[in-house]
Amino acid sequence: MSGASLAIPDRLRLLRGANNEGVLAVVLLALIVAMSIANPAFFTLPTAFSILRSSIVPLIFALGVLMVIISGGIDVSFAAIAVFAAYTTVRALQSGTPDLGLIGAFALALLIGASLGVINGFLIAKFRLPTLIVTLGTQGIFKGALLTYVGSRYIADLPTSMAHVSTTNLFEVSTPTGSAYLHVLVVPAVLLAMGLAWVLRSTMFGRSIYAIGGDVEAARRAGIRVMRTQVAVYVIAGTMAAAGGMIYVIMGRSASPQILVGSELDIIAAVVLGGASIFGGRGSVLGTALGVILVQVIYNSLILAGVPSAWQRTAVGVLLIIGVGIQAVASRRSSRASVIDETHQKQEVPA
Amino acid sequence: MKLADPETKPLSRLNDSVDAGWTRLLGLGRIEGGVRRMLILVVVAFAVFAALKPSIFLSGTNLRNIALNSPEIGVIAIAMMLAMLTGGIDLSLVAMANLSAITMSTMFTAVAAGDPALAEQLFPVILLAGIAVGVLGGAINGLLISGLGITPILATLGTMQIYNGIAVAWTGGKTLYGSPSALTAIGSSTVAGIPILFYVFVLVAVAIGVVVTRTPLGLRIQLQGANPTAARYSGIASRKILLSTYVLTGLLSGIAGVLFIARNPTASADYGASYVLLVIVIAVLGGTNPNGGFATVLGVVLATLTLQIVSSGFTAMRLSAYQYAIAQGLILVAAMAFEQVKWRRRLRSRKPAVQPG
Repeated sequence: MSGASLAIPDRLRLLRGANNEGVLAVVLLALIVAMSIANPAFFTLPTAFSILRSSIVPLIFALGVLMVIISGGIDVSFAAIAVFAAYTTVRALQSGTPDLGLIGAFALALLIGASLGVINGFLIAKFRLPTLIVTLGTQGIFKGALLTYVGSRYIADLPTSMAHVSTTNLFEVSTPTGSAYLHVLVVPAVLLAMGLAWVLRSTMFGRSIYAIGGDVEAARRAGIRVMRTQVAVYVIAGTMAAAGGMIYVIMGRSASPQILVGSELDIIAAVVLGGASIFGGRGSVLGTALGVILVQVIYNSLILAGVPSAWQRTAVGVLLIIGVGIQAVASRRSSRASVIDETHQKQEVPA
Repeated sequence: MKLADPETKPLSRLNDSVDAGWTRLLGLGRIEGGVRRMLILVVVAFAVFAALKPSIFLSGTNLRNIALNSPEIGVIAIAMMLAMLTGGIDLSLVAMANLSAITMSTMFTAVAAGDPALAEQLFPVILLAGIAVGVLGGAINGLLISGLGITPILATLGTMQIYNGIAVAWTGGKTLYGSPSALTAIGSSTVAGIPILFYVFVLVAVAIGVVVTRTPLGLRIQLQGANPTAARYSGIASRKILLSTYVLTGLLSGIAGVLFIARNPTASADYGASYVLLVIVIAVLGGTNPNGGFATVLGVVLATLTLQIVSSGFTAMRLSAYQYAIAQGLILVAAMAFEQVKWRRRLRSRKPAVQPG
């Protein structure tokens, strides 16, 4: 009897996950059940597929942001990198360059994203500058350079190889309420998520990211090459952003340098909701994916519930405050219980 | 060095006092290093654009525009500086300012629909209501940060979304027209050739400067930012300080809202969307340490002017807003890198400097 009562909290803790993924999953499930009861139109395959479809791009961005946040930084330049890479690629393919095909186009975009990431990483690792400030600066530079030197025109016709993908579905299910399509680009998003999860969990590089985010000085003394790892983190984040930008352009079937403006903070909110600590050292791909999907489900259910779309931002803001509020109160309580100094959660904005 | 001769004593005393005076002056120069750099930057920026395009840049209209654009951005930048002084950040400033402007416009329009004369008379009440909205927003931020212990960047990221969302839902995404004509009159009039709004900006800057450097609250805010642990062990009520700081930033946002609507009798949810990042640039450029503990109001005021000069100089040279965005980013990164390199050099040179001599 006593053994069982001991095992239950243990099992509960296991279910809850290291970063409250379990709690998030329960919230998500509760929301889905409540919405399905309130509005039967919600619990259908087309809705599920459309939520998945709208989660693709935010998820890819969120994965890059997650990596940066785990390393103890914050990146607000990823949207600018995404637009820069995607728009420049489309522009290059249009202006006479032989059609590189889908693979070639992606390779070009990823290369651009990686090089912009190098700039971020170099400034941050070399000068040890606050990441928020650096990425704020480079965001302005990237966006300004794109609009000044690459172009500011709206492009409505994508190269054929890219346009073809935008109408390709993975499979199609006929339901009484209409056909449900699962977009083919879900595949790269899922692959990227699984890949990053593996890197973060099982590679030396992944563990170094956690170590640096936990305590830079300790990581350095443990023999981790902090500078190299940091640069790599921003290069990969830049590449991810470029991939997200390309997919956004393909799915929207048009390219404009003004897209994705203002989406930075929404993505960061989703990652933080997913249990990543803004101070670094904590976070998981599963939690991030749940956070992204939760935000999309809320958007979708607000529309179905007839709430004007103007309230979407407010809803996400409230959700963020509740999420981080609970985390803050819980960590304050636990730090009071164990005699550990409570300053770690009072530290303001990590650089 | 000093001569021990009795006859030269007065001279050596004079020498001593001159020495002491120099040291004090040099000390001032060193303490105000950020300010000195900003002064140089303002003058250089002004001189460069004045030399390149004197006909447009030095015209009265352009100079008046600089003086008209600076106040709203400057007041928000000072608020950002205050938040950074405690080691925090406030991303919700512009959203609060817009909400304050929207409140004033809505109140005016509602009263004016029944009785236009009464609406004009209620002008002070409307003004206070707008500022009160800012204070309320700031108090909510403060409670989340000090009461619940949410990190400032996350708390204000959340409230930014909430305040902005409320503003969007309230206005339906449209621009509201209408504000007391007295306010518009103040916004468009000048004293001695300088817009009244600029005097408001100077007044706010001086007031915050006095609060930060001359009051117990300001001292505590600085200590809290410099070292939260030390501040707590010195008996400083951290929570109260944080709460007051964010109430103060909210108050400044409310004032910025008044400035918004005084310049243009309109209010909308997405006004000044680019200001959120711009004011961080200004605060950091003005010598504010984003990790807390150090900032000067004068530095921030000068940084505001610098960026406005660069912005209008770019316009005068027919460069686009996008090129201005590049310049803004480059200035920010360069200023930070410069500061960091200087710091490291100073840390490195500290050891030999300790040697007696």
